[in-house]
Amino acid sequence: MSAPNVVGVYVFIICVIVPVLVYALVKQLWNLPLQNGTGYFFGVEVPPGFYEGPGRSWMGGFHAMVAALYGVCAVGLVAIVATRRWEMTPWWGGGFALLFVPTMFGFQAWTRHKLAADPPVRPVALALESRRMGDYISWPMEALAVALVALSWWLLLHGGRHFDWQSTLLQSWVVLGMIPGKMAMVRLSFPLPAERAEEHFRFQELSRRFWIRLSGIILQWYMLVVLLGVAVLRGVLPVHPAPVWRWLVLASGFAVWGYGVIVMFRGMQRMKAMGRELRPPGSWKTPFGRASCFGTGWAFQIWFAIWFGGILAFILYSLCKHGFK
Amino acid sequence: MFLTLQDNDKRPIYQQITDGIKDLIARGELRERMTLPSVRQVAGDLGVNLNTVAVAYRQLQDEGFVTVRHGAGAVISSRSPHPINQAELYKPLQTALTQLVLSGLTGREIVETVREQLALLQQKGGTR
Repeated sequence: MSAPNVVGVYVFIICVIVPVLVYALVKQLWNLPLQNGTGYFFGVEVPPGFYEGPGRSWMGGFHAMVAALYGVCAVGLVAIVATRRWEMTPWWGGGFALLFVPTMFGFQAWTRHKLAADPPVRPVALALESRRMGDYISWPMEALAVALVALSWWLLLHGGRHFDWQSTLLQSWVVLGMIPGKMAMVRLSFPLPAERAEEHFRFQELSRRFWIRLSGIILQWYMLVVLLGVAVLRGVLPVHPAPVWRWLVLASGFAVWGYGVIVMFRGMQRMKAMGRELRPPGSWKTPFGRASCFGTGWAFQIWFAIWFGGILAFILYSLCKHGFK
Repeated sequence: MFLTLQDNDKRPIYQQITDGIKDLIARGELRERMTLPSVRQVAGDLGVNLNTVAVAYRQLQDEGFVTVRHGAGAVISSRSPHPINQAELYKPLQTALTQLVLSGLTGREIVETVREQLALLQQKGGTR
């Protein structure tokens, strides 16, 4: 058995990511503003006939934005293939994610501002059930994640061989940052409308558990497997390890990532089905005010700004220091 | 179990929370030793200030409806709150009756209204 060819691995990653992106575009993204039915646009209540009038241009604007995002992604991919700079693949994937998330949040905020600056006030329900961290987060698993990050660093630092400390630091930041992130997600909530409060409550519970689980798999454990895999290859095994080790690290990373993708699509389908008839948070306000795009409270927003800002800072630092080498 | 806060309610927020929880206790939906969500959770879920919820919980504690234990949150106390004198107990009733009289209801209508409201509470098996 020969060791996995680096170019082959990158080509394989591209071949896996592209169908996932296309599937997400067709099944989830293209009609995302209509996820709550034609009475809403991107979670904002719209008058009847909206989609025969101004709704067309709003929908067109959304489609143009999505097309632009995917266009940038496609141009990046073509550039990689044309120049055969396969090592740029992680930058391409990560860059798309970093561009996609703020753009979507920005569009949502813009929609709320322009279409429903002052939504109707409605009675609010308060669920009198305690949310305990332990019901959503497995502390032994989080402790294991911390221990594995520490072990990875120890292996790399004591391996005596060169390693890319910036990537390692970035991966550690992502993995460890998800612990307060999950805690913030437990606290994160959107006001419950008094009407059909039970259904809204169940939907919110489902969403909360889904996002905690998904981010735990894709952002935390996937990164952890990559980090630990590299640490074992560089810190424990000889300079030219048996090919099986490289295959093992590669397969572990893909297994976690693939599992995350399955969880993502299944969860999103379930949420779509459950939330279709429910009132989205942006379409109303409680007697005490309106929830932001990120829900009520500041914990999640502060965590997201620090965590996401940290990732951007790492990437910018790397780019400024090394350029696209 | 849910507590509903109306959009046209003129009472302060902390009072709405306090009264809502008392109502659920009276209806028997909140029973002894049940735990209420933390002040932080309630404030986050409603999008109100932490102090507002803390004042509501403190009032419930002062009146003997909940016991606040460090680390365990607020726990519903037994159905016998701190003894309060009769004058204090009847004060809200007198205020409510005054409002009903001023609104033009007859004595018979007021009695009927009180009976209906009491029946609503008893439906849930909260009163003895």
